[in-house]
Amino acid sequence: MDLLAFKQRILPVQNRLFRLATMFLRNREDAEDALQDVLMRLWSNRQQLDTYQSVEALAVQMTRNLCMDRLKAHARQKSVDQADLGSLASPQLSPHRQTELADSADQIRRLIDELPDAQKLVLHLRDVEECSFEEIEQLTGLSINTIRVTLSRARQRLRNGYLKLNDYEADH
Amino acid sequence: MKPTIDELLTRYYEGETTLDDEKQLRDFFRHPGQVPTHLLQHAALFQYVSDAQQQQPSTNFVGGMDPRPTGQIRQLTSWGMRLAAGVALLLIGFVGGRFYNRWQPDAAKPAVLATNDRPETASMKKALAFGRMSQTSASDRIQAVNQSYDLDEADREITQLLINTLNFDANVNVRLAACQALLRFEGEEGVRDALIQSLRIQKDPNVQLTLIEALVAIKEKRAATEMQWLARNQQVLEIVRLKAQEGAVALTRVSGSFS
Repeated sequence: MDLLAFKQRILPVQNRLFRLATMFLRNREDAEDALQDVLMRLWSNRQQLDTYQSVEALAVQMTRNLCMDRLKAHARQKSVDQADLGSLASPQLSPHRQTELADSADQIRRLIDELPDAQKLVLHLRDVEECSFEEIEQLTGLSINTIRVTLSRARQRLRNGYLKLNDYEADH
Repeated sequence: MKPTIDELLTRYYEGETTLDDEKQLRDFFRHPGQVPTHLLQHAALFQYVSDAQQQQPSTNFVGGMDPRPTGQIRQLTSWGMRLAAGVALLLIGFVGGRFYNRWQPDAAKPAVLATNDRPETASMKKALAFGRMSQTSASDRIQAVNQSYDLDEADREITQLLINTLNFDANVNVRLAACQALLRFEGEEGVRDALIQSLRIQKDPNVQLTLIEALVAIKEKRAATEMQWLARNQQVLEIVRLKAQEGAVALTRVSGSFS
């Protein structure tokens, strides 16, 4: 794989890899570090890349594993990227509502962090990256049925966790 | 008929929605102001998703990543090429070794011929020459000392050289080697005296112990006084003192049995 092929096949997926890394690491700088690492490894192994069926699947797996390693190695407190929360709330909402929204985004982040890795990955690929089940199957190597079940479990778990945190039932 | 948001949500949590359905859901929840209250509990997840979709690596990160086009890197991909490269390297090493060997004797010969001695003696003298100690390594000198084992008989010059090495070499191991080598020539004149004198000169416990053992082994009675001196000397290690005491007793007993 030469420079041109690398540019055409790897660089387009880097945004996807970056979002995946962000989901795992919850920190913009760390995610960029991880992405750079992955790209670097892919580049230095570019001679062997042609032997893989799907380079994207390889890249996703590499990113995932790298993020896991980093999380394990540091086991540090994950800092939420506050900068992104500003864009979430629209200006015509009241400050009270804005805080609430920022708070709920934070809660969802924390709930996602608590999900098992497989659920995290499938949920991210499906909801954020909008992959079809076939694509997810190719990227993760799981069967479509497993993916469906994992996805459903992840979504329900998020909903239940969120409900528990906010206790909406009590309000109504 | 279009499914309602509630129906879509139910299917969403079952993992049954299509990508289009999910897009519709995200669009619906994108504007938090318009979401009915009873659906607000679901809004957070979709907002998180929409938000996460916007994330991009910073622009200068992407820009700086474009690698400079470099010249084509040639890799020896085919097996044939690798093999050929390996064989070529092997050949180069072989030929180089042959050349080196052919050169080496030519260079060494004149130096040997210049002296009248046998080659071992000459190179030994050269390596052990006192002034050259800074230029030769300890292993060189040990090797030179060991060359004396090839000699059947030693002349005064060789033994003197070894004695000097034993007494004044900077390296303990060289001194030890010289001590061992001298034992072979115990019959030569001056060697025994030199070993006895060396007892007073040596400071290293290793050499001291070797000397004591050597002198006891060759039953050198005259060394007994030196050993007693050593045994009384508070500056040497205790083990050396004990050994010297032991050696002195052994030697006096030997002389006692003779007399």
